[in-house]
Amino acid sequence: MKSLGVILALALAGLQLFAVTIVVFSSYFTSERTLLNHARTQLVDAGQNVIEHTKSFLAPARSAAELSTALAENEIVRREQRALLEGLLFEQLRAAPQFAGVYYGDEEGNFVYVSRNGPERFLSKIVRANAELRTILLDRNTEFELLAERPDPTDTYDPRTRPWYQSAKGTLRSIWTDPYIFFTSRSPGITAATPVIGFDGVVQGVAGVDIEIRELSNFLSRLRIGQTGAAFVLNRNGDVIAHPNPALLTTAGEDGALEFPSIEEIADPLARAAFGDRLRSDGTVNAREAQYDFVYGGERYVSQIMPFGLGEIPWTIVVYAPENDFIGTIKDNRRLNTLIAIGIAAVTGLLGLGLANRIHAPVRAFAVRSSLVSQGEVAPDAPMPRTYKELENANTTLVNEISQRKRTEREYRLTFDLASRGMIYLDEMTGRILRLNARFAEIFGADPADLEGRAFQSLLATGEEDVVALFAANAGVQSGVSFKAEARRCDGAPIWINFTGVFIRSGDACESYVVATIDDVTQARVSEEKIDELNRELAHVARQQIMGELATGLAHELNQPLTAITQTVDAAQYIVENRPEDSAEVAKLLGEIDQQTHQAADIIRALRGFIRKEDNRATRFSINELLEQARRLVLSEARRQSAEILLRPGPDVKVSAVRVQVAQVLVNLLRNAVEAMAEAGSPERKVVVSTRLGGDDLTIEVEDSGPGVSPDLRLFSQFETTKAEGMGLGLSISRTLIESNGGRIWYDNSERGARFSFTLPLKPEDP
Amino acid sequence: MTEPATATPVVFLVDDDETIRVSLARALGLRGYRVRAFASAQAFLDAYDGKAPGCLILDYGMPQMDGLALQRRLIETDIRIPIIFITGHGGIPESVQAIKHGALDFLEKPFKQSVLIERIEAAIELDRVQRVEHAESSAARARFDALTDREREIARFMVANPGANSSKDVARHLDISPRTVDHHRARILEKIGVNTVAELVGLAMEVDFGKDA
Repeated sequence: MKSLGVILALALAGLQLFAVTIVVFSSYFTSERTLLNHARTQLVDAGQNVIEHTKSFLAPARSAAELSTALAENEIVRREQRALLEGLLFEQLRAAPQFAGVYYGDEEGNFVYVSRNGPERFLSKIVRANAELRTILLDRNTEFELLAERPDPTDTYDPRTRPWYQSAKGTLRSIWTDPYIFFTSRSPGITAATPVIGFDGVVQGVAGVDIEIRELSNFLSRLRIGQTGAAFVLNRNGDVIAHPNPALLTTAGEDGALEFPSIEEIADPLARAAFGDRLRSDGTVNAREAQYDFVYGGERYVSQIMPFGLGEIPWTIVVYAPENDFIGTIKDNRRLNTLIAIGIAAVTGLLGLGLANRIHAPVRAFAVRSSLVSQGEVAPDAPMPRTYKELENANTTLVNEISQRKRTEREYRLTFDLASRGMIYLDEMTGRILRLNARFAEIFGADPADLEGRAFQSLLATGEEDVVALFAANAGVQSGVSFKAEARRCDGAPIWINFTGVFIRSGDACESYVVATIDDVTQARVSEEKIDELNRELAHVARQQIMGELATGLAHELNQPLTAITQTVDAAQYIVENRPEDSAEVAKLLGEIDQQTHQAADIIRALRGFIRKEDNRATRFSINELLEQARRLVLSEARRQSAEILLRPGPDVKVSAVRVQVAQVLVNLLRNAVEAMAEAGSPERKVVVSTRLGGDDLTIEVEDSGPGVSPDLRLFSQFETTKAEGMGLGLSISRTLIESNGGRIWYDNSERGARFSFTLPLKPEDP
Repeated sequence: MTEPATATPVVFLVDDDETIRVSLARALGLRGYRVRAFASAQAFLDAYDGKAPGCLILDYGMPQMDGLALQRRLIETDIRIPIIFITGHGGIPESVQAIKHGALDFLEKPFKQSVLIERIEAAIELDRVQRVEHAESSAARARFDALTDREREIARFMVANPGANSSKDVARHLDISPRTVDHHRARILEKIGVNTVAELVGLAMEVDFGKDA
């Protein structure tokens, strides 16, 4: 049963604390999840932003190259109009500040190239494949005015050998080169090239535009991702081609030429971490869109990897930012909120406890009083402390109940203590004596104080059944338990007691005990034992008498086979002496001797079975063997009276009984039958012994063909007999023996004569 | 010696126990005896008319008719075959009873074979002697039977009064002349085949002559 104080405290303080905790934790986890989703969205947005920006940044170069192509295809640009071509190219270059140079090369090796050459200055390079002065360099200002002209006799530039030219000519469409570092400006850039195809479908030349992509890096450095997030761009080989810090973008290759650093080499470990291990084994980038978290320098980051999704530009953008950029503030907020919640919970919890205490106080005072009343330190009608009305009503009822119960208890105690029979309370689980009365102590000749708390088992003789086990076996099955047992008085004298106990349960099974009445039955027991002993002695004497009567006949029985043996031995000796060659005959005779010897042995065995001492202990034995032996014992007498004993046994089962006693009963019945038939001079003298199985026992019937028994005679009683020389003890003893073996014996007249039947248990009897 | 003494003596055996019958008959058979065994007294009585010479080995305790009863029946029918009783009980009263009725011996089972053989031999010899004696007395009786009435009267008187059998005494008693008595006496002695009156008296007692008057 729970205390009201605990229930109140739990209800008022505990539940409220529990609710606050649930709310705080659920908001804790949901807000974090939302924020992380938000961070990812932001990263994707930044990446898209970069992609869009790059598209719009690169678009003019393609347009410019395609425009140049259109001009060339329309034959606006001719060999002799090279100055005009230079001017057209110049216009395009000047219009787009990201262009580094615009140029056109043809199949003959001619080449016109216009490029920026420092602020407000432009440089043109004209290559004429068949001219004397092959290469001419022209310096111009923003107005296309010629500032200087000089030949370059060392130049051997041939556009047809350049990769951009060959690539565009090979694919017959516009191409983008991989990014590379422009030789002249040492800036990163890429080239857009478009082939010029004549009406005959033959490539006439290729127009190209160089575009610097340093601007992409500048754009990345301006881009704001979270607070400290960044983005960078890779080409398909894993080289970093745009990075917020452009200084990192150029590195000297093995041959001294400038090139882009690989993502694995770049001097930005954070970028390396953000990219993770997404390089394939052949060095190319796994360009599938992906997102993942990583930890760098003890801080958690989120990272987003996105392909550009532009066919000719196989670039990948990597965007990353520390997680705290997005949820740092929220985390701080959350920490604060949790502290506030704990504070509130503590304050309201304390208030709740206080309240619970106030509610509980009158109840507690009442409980203390009740306990004092029950201990008798306060009278039940003493004034009450201030408390609830309901409790006051309950108290009045209880006070009445208590005084009533005390009276009953006093009466019961007097009854218990003054009872003329021994009475005890036992703990059902331990078998210890909880309470006892004076008579019980008297039975055991002990001081009551010495017996209290003792195990009841210790009062019993050793070898008696364990009472605790007995209780356990019967509790719940029976309402009580009773047994007879041998016990020891405190002075060591053996006594016999009758134990009659009932199980008492109060409430739950923990409080269960046995209330028992104990009677001293030593006197009765002694008489019983005496009678048993007398009966046993009587049976023994009767058996000895039967043996005496049977002895002569048995000696005769035994002499028969012995005589046959001597005769057969004599025959054998004769053959050995006179016809020593006839060993087969001797062997046959020896076989007969063996058989006759066993016949003699059977008789001795039957005899021994009848006189064997078994301490009256039940054993399991074959009934058919016993029938045969009993028949043998009576056989000689039956023969003298010209009677026949026939055995018609049923299945050979084992019965459980004292064998010698059953033998005695059988011999007694057989002899009675033989004698009755002889005395009546019956013409037919047959005794039939049969057995029959039924349930738990075996029935044995001895039926004779004599005159039957007069109904006036009280059979099985002592001194009732039909025999001239009998004492009338045989059947009385038989009944005692059969009943002590757990069977029954009875008599009825059959159509042939008298029939005696008795049963024997098949299974051992419980002691 | 009218009975032929050449017939082989038979050892009759009556015992209700088959093992005894079989083993005993076999052992005796091996030793050259003609043995006839019976399972009960009645069977023996039905089969035996007293003519065959030999002896009877008889079990004392048997159902229906026991050995003693059979002995009585044989005496009643004047069959005088020598009896050797065998018994598993060996009670003294029974053996006394049996011997009183003329049993040759009373052997307790189990018995020594040599003792049994000796008894059988004695019994067969006894039987032979008895049969011879029986045959002799029968002849003597026939001779007495051949006497005339007067001669028988005179012979009986002489046998009955051995102290007063002179011719004068006989003549006075029968109221005839002493000469006639002398004549008759000579005829009697001749017919019976004896020389003196004393011999006549001895023979007459042997065949119980004189009692059946």
